[in-house]
Amino acid sequence: MADEITGTSGTIMVVGGGISGLTTAIEAAEVGHEVFIIEKNPYLGGRVAQLNKYFPKLCPPTCGLEINFQRIKNNKKIKWFTMTEVEKISGSPGNFDVTLKQNPRYVNENCTCCGKCGEACDAEISNVFNFNMDKRKAAYLPYEMSFPQRYVLDPSIIGTDTARKCKDACEYDAIDLDMKPKTLNLKAAAIVWATGWNPYDARKIDNLSFGSVRNVITNMMMERLAAVNGPTQGKIVRPSDGKAVGNIAFVQCAGSRDENHLPFCSYICCLASLKQATYIREANKSSKATIFYIDLRTPGRYEKFYKKVKEDANVSFVKGKVAKLEEHPDTGDVTVTAEDTISGKKIQKTFDMVVLATGMEPSTVSEKIPGKGTYDENSFVVPGEILATGCVKKPSDVMSSGQTATGTALKAIQTLVRR
Amino acid sequence: MAEGTVIKPDLDFVKKIMKSGGGDSLKKCYQCATCSVVCNVTPDDKPFPRKEMLQAQWGLKDKLFGNPDIWLCHHCSDCTAYCPRGAKPGEVLGAVRKMSIEHYAFPGFLGKMVGDPKYLLLALAAPVLLLLVVIGLLGNLRIPEGEIIYAEKFMPVIAIDTIYILAALFASVGFVVGIKRYWNDLKAGVEFSTNKWQKMVKGPLPIIIVNQIVEFMTHKRFKNCDVTGSRSFSHLLVFFGFVGLAITTTWAIVYLYAMHWESPYPLSDPMKILGNVSALILLVGILLVILNRLKNAGKAGLGSYYDWLFICIVLTIVTTGILSEVLRLKEIAHLAYPVYFIHLVSVLFLFAYAPFSKMAHMVYRMTALVFSKYSGREDKKF
Repeated sequence: MADEITGTSGTIMVVGGGISGLTTAIEAAEVGHEVFIIEKNPYLGGRVAQLNKYFPKLCPPTCGLEINFQRIKNNKKIKWFTMTEVEKISGSPGNFDVTLKQNPRYVNENCTCCGKCGEACDAEISNVFNFNMDKRKAAYLPYEMSFPQRYVLDPSIIGTDTARKCKDACEYDAIDLDMKPKTLNLKAAAIVWATGWNPYDARKIDNLSFGSVRNVITNMMMERLAAVNGPTQGKIVRPSDGKAVGNIAFVQCAGSRDENHLPFCSYICCLASLKQATYIREANKSSKATIFYIDLRTPGRYEKFYKKVKEDANVSFVKGKVAKLEEHPDTGDVTVTAEDTISGKKIQKTFDMVVLATGMEPSTVSEKIPGKGTYDENSFVVPGEILATGCVKKPSDVMSSGQTATGTALKAIQTLVRR
Repeated sequence: MAEGTVIKPDLDFVKKIMKSGGGDSLKKCYQCATCSVVCNVTPDDKPFPRKEMLQAQWGLKDKLFGNPDIWLCHHCSDCTAYCPRGAKPGEVLGAVRKMSIEHYAFPGFLGKMVGDPKYLLLALAAPVLLLLVVIGLLGNLRIPEGEIIYAEKFMPVIAIDTIYILAALFASVGFVVGIKRYWNDLKAGVEFSTNKWQKMVKGPLPIIIVNQIVEFMTHKRFKNCDVTGSRSFSHLLVFFGFVGLAITTTWAIVYLYAMHWESPYPLSDPMKILGNVSALILLVGILLVILNRLKNAGKAGLGSYYDWLFICIVLTIVTTGILSEVLRLKEIAHLAYPVYFIHLVSVLFLFAYAPFSKMAHMVYRMTALVFSKYSGREDKKF
């Protein structure tokens, strides 16, 4: 690929290839505009790709993502760049100059996903896709359905014998160990920031003991545990001893609505926990789930889902925020302390595993826009010269992310027309 | 329609809590109950301070006052540090305790006066004027010549004894009336607590009182604070400093009236040694109290006027006491007598206003702790 990539005066650059970025890009491209998608990861799909099921229809993520990938493939107006980050933005709407940095994948378009390089690879790395709950080969496909369907070599093995072995195993001449980082320059008329969110670092909530009590996990880890392509092939077992989880607790507002952490409501966590309660209930008929909450927030039609879960006698609800989690030294069980504010009693209950409903931290907390970005007090992007959509603008679920992304596509198009 | 309870929110009371150190953030509490969970000194049944936050928001004065719980709280500030809304339950309960002291104060106007910075000068003027008048009548309103002997040349023992014994009596009456009112309210409000009044858990009252005093001597309960854990030690120093000085005073009375031996006493005398050591313990204690407050200010807040008035009085008493002795030994008369005068004023302030200042916390907290053991409110052992 040339170092100078040409955008036309009508180009829209979408940064972030998650559900919001994809939607904005596709909607704009399908009405005839040229769009560039810039994605940091080696795959498109973002957080949705990590989910087991997603709202509103509780489909597996491949369902919705596949359609979008198909639309991208069939549309010549869309160009996408994975493993690419934005380094600098100058200029103004209608006339942006963007510097991009593309990191080497070490695997080219010849890759057929035969998997021979992975078999030959003798080095393992932590699997960030599964929130480090397992390891994967240093020559890997990010996940089964990942787009593009192309392996990646982890930079840590470059220059070692392992990399050589991977290259020798490839029958298609798809591995290129000499790939170097590339700087690309792009002209764009409109920029949409759609870099999404990161799960809030649960370690920071010291009284919830994430990281020290072994059987305390986060809601995003729970998605991976429940997913068939996850670290346990979809079996919900606890980290300390692999025991099947029969009795689970959900701790709502773990970091959200908390001035010491994330002062805002993360919007999705109540429904995520209700949904995850169904994971465990469907997996094991005798299982029990308890949701500890301050207020359950089930916006719009989601109230129906809440009512449905509530009908299940094995799902109980305690109104009171959990503020202490302790590990039983012999069994590894987790003791939860909360005040049941309805009865006015401070209670302790023991569970096989506890899920923290951690919230959404906008990705712009850790990585700011390298240009004229404007933010609110919580580092969410406030659309200005650079537009924004999805969870980097406001915590949202997939459905409303899709809707606002379409709206943002229109905003971006307006920028082009207004010139 | 079912009979409901009519709740009458007292909005002025709510405003007063916010002004007395509870803070504007009181209304931000959304009842998540993090505070009740992180609190290490609350009973498990009807724990505080979550319910007190609700009562404070609603201005339910009677529920707050007629309940031992506000005094079971030791202001650890674990709740404040972990509060997701910055609503400061620790400070709110501190403010409610102050208002409770004011509520039970006898005579009532003194309760208002001592707790309000507007009347600080007036509160100070009373002991200053009283002492000035007495010293003036004795014809001692000047810096005396020669060797410094406070009792002989400035303030005779008989005058001191009369003034301070009367002040102590006045305070005692205030305490007796206040505690009686409080005890009656506690009994009346007992249906809010776990067991009924009749169910005594630890036997007869005198034994419970002794138990409570033993518990207090070790500060067993206070040591459970996490965020401001260092406070129990400094508080213990202040307490034992005062105990030592009280013993010293009694001892001096024996010297004076039983043995007819007048002050000043030599530094090598065991009574004098006890007095000096106690003063140093008190000084170190109160300085640590101040340091702890400054150190914890970020998490626990700096404290209210009410807290600082008391701290300042104790600090003044101990520093002027030590200085009076040092200046006397160094024979710096023009400083010694004025410093001694300030010492007398601050001690009188402490004595006379004890039932209205933060000093009263000692008696009210003790009462509440005894009551909670007596009534079965406590389900934890300390």
